[in-house]
Amino acid sequence: MKKAAVTLVLCGALAIVFSAAGFAETLQIGALYPISGSLALLGEESLRGAEIARLERNKAGGIAGREIVFEKADGSTVAAARSEAERLIEQKKVPIIIGSYSSSRCMAASEVAARKEIPYFELGAIANAITGRGYKTMWRTNPTAQDFSKSQVAFITDWLASQMGKQPSEMKVSIAHEDSDYGTSVAESFSTLAKESGIQVVSVEPYSANATDLSSVIFRLRKAEPDIVIAVSYAQDAILMARQAYELKLKAPLMGTGGGHSLQSFADALGAQADGVLNVDFTQYAVNTSFTPGLEEFLALYKATFQENPRSGHSLANYMGASVVFDILGKTGGSMNPEDLRKAAMSLDIPAGTTATGWGVKFDANGQNVRAVPLVTQWRDGKLVTVWPQDAAVMDPILKE
Amino acid sequence: MDLYIQVLVSGLLLGGVYALISVGLNLIFGVVRIINFAHGEMVMIAMYLTFWLHHFSKLDPYVSAIVIMPVMFIFGIVFQRIVVQPILATSATMKIFATVGVSLLLQNLALIAWKGDFRTVQTSYSMSSLEVFDIIVSIPRLVAFSAALLSIIVLYYFLKYTYVGKALRAIVEDHAVARLMGVNVEKHYILAFGMGTMFTALGGVLLMPFSSVYPTVGVTFTLLAFVVVVLGGLGSMSGTFFAGLFIGVVESIGGTFVSPALKEAIYFAIFVLVLLVRPQGLFGKGKGSEEVGLK
Repeated sequence: MKKAAVTLVLCGALAIVFSAAGFAETLQIGALYPISGSLALLGEESLRGAEIARLERNKAGGIAGREIVFEKADGSTVAAARSEAERLIEQKKVPIIIGSYSSSRCMAASEVAARKEIPYFELGAIANAITGRGYKTMWRTNPTAQDFSKSQVAFITDWLASQMGKQPSEMKVSIAHEDSDYGTSVAESFSTLAKESGIQVVSVEPYSANATDLSSVIFRLRKAEPDIVIAVSYAQDAILMARQAYELKLKAPLMGTGGGHSLQSFADALGAQADGVLNVDFTQYAVNTSFTPGLEEFLALYKATFQENPRSGHSLANYMGASVVFDILGKTGGSMNPEDLRKAAMSLDIPAGTTATGWGVKFDANGQNVRAVPLVTQWRDGKLVTVWPQDAAVMDPILKE
Repeated sequence: MDLYIQVLVSGLLLGGVYALISVGLNLIFGVVRIINFAHGEMVMIAMYLTFWLHHFSKLDPYVSAIVIMPVMFIFGIVFQRIVVQPILATSATMKIFATVGVSLLLQNLALIAWKGDFRTVQTSYSMSSLEVFDIIVSIPRLVAFSAALLSIIVLYYFLKYTYVGKALRAIVEDHAVARLMGVNVEKHYILAFGMGTMFTALGGVLLMPFSSVYPTVGVTFTLLAFVVVVLGGLGSMSGTFFAGLFIGVVESIGGTFVSPALKEAIYFAIFVLVLLVRPQGLFGKGKGSEEVGLK
């Protein structure tokens, strides 16, 4: 009996020694997301994705034998994002930062990082300007606002116009967008691209995402009489706009641009009225999985770690992005020297359809991944399914009267 | 022409909602002059209570008001006893600091307890509306509007004719004299805070059928309610009602015919102009009345 007890204790001690000795060193990475404040929901969802990638990579041996550790920071507001970036770099001495879900927070935080020559990897914010500022240490794995608009314009010209019995040049589109970096950036890209393909943009309506009432936006949209409304919204305003559009009898269908329109809470709030709402976003979970190898493993790991289903595709996008960052660090052998990183990042050449998001990886001179493509999804019976393009789709899109 | 009337009607309905949210603050800040920056968080808590009651016991939001109003009355009393009472005799700034602190605390407690999710109550009437001569009137907003009107009438008569109402007004004007006249000042402060919180909670409950609740939902309401109360004139119940309607209509017209992005800017500009000309607010009692009890 006594022997058994001693053996048990010894085993326990050994286990502790081994788990501690599994990694002799750690590799610190700053993880900057809004995890409190008004963007907490998707900010945290994004962080969860990166966290899954970290757990997975550590299980597989970490990077060059070192354990990856996140130094978390809360960019609850734009000002907080800036000061948290300072804190991460000056006090915590992190050699690299990932983030940040919100475009305005990324713009502020990455500016701090660039000044101190700390590499900044954006895994989820889409404003065009993020990789358009000529920073040598700025990288982005996810698609840009421009890419979102490209998908929307292609969907309108390839599918929607013919469904409405019109030529693309006869299509009239209104844009209603929240007025921070995210919404403004999408609205500008869409207007430019639409013009190039002959689509008419009949009105552009900016509004504040914190608005308690959007009836005036709906009245303006009614006056403009578009065939479709491109909405660029966060969570609360997406629900409010869709509810008031129904109440005030706006005829044109809505097409979201990521963010709020992908959330389950959007479908819950609108009930049957959510059915048929279109959306362009990062890869979601009802997608052709032959296009997204690794997605099922991610889902299983997510459920095991957080005991619930992901709230949106933001975690998946950040999982994919963080994995790419780890791949790059693996290539440099854990070196954070910006020059080494640059070489390693530029050498990546992953074809589309081979990652969990279905995106490939190839960085351009600005550090933007040019193989990340947003997909068109649609709410069908309370589920968000991928409907376009065909190789990723699990259902055909429908046009709801 | 239709559009103009529709915009006006929507603006009035929106204004009714604004007035409803501000009634409670008018009692707490307008009548007894305690600056409460946690006002929006009281709305937030009432909204969450409505949501959870509906979620777990399928209680209709309008019915849940019967439960939530007394609960929030007690919450107001506790809040007054713990946070406000100890600093009652200090300057207004102290009350701002203390209540801003409570507001942040409540926001983050809500985030920890209920997460950042955007929660809504789905009822049969959430998106229902009446149509009168092609003018669309949202039913849940009409209910909120009517409740605002009713609350205002009730509080008006309460302040004017009941003993408690008269005592409250006396305390603000001169609490030493009120005490000499036999008014229990502490008790009346507690009562006013409880009632103010209760009416604020009613606002939160009636918002739920058409808005979503999340931890920081109160932030916009706090600012808005202060603007409504100050614009209408501190302590004036009809002032709060008309100021609410005024802001709602300005927002609706400005948003529709100028730009949705500018609607707040327009009503704040008007707010500043009004205060320059009439610092006591549109329905305020008289010159200088806005400073009574705050200095």
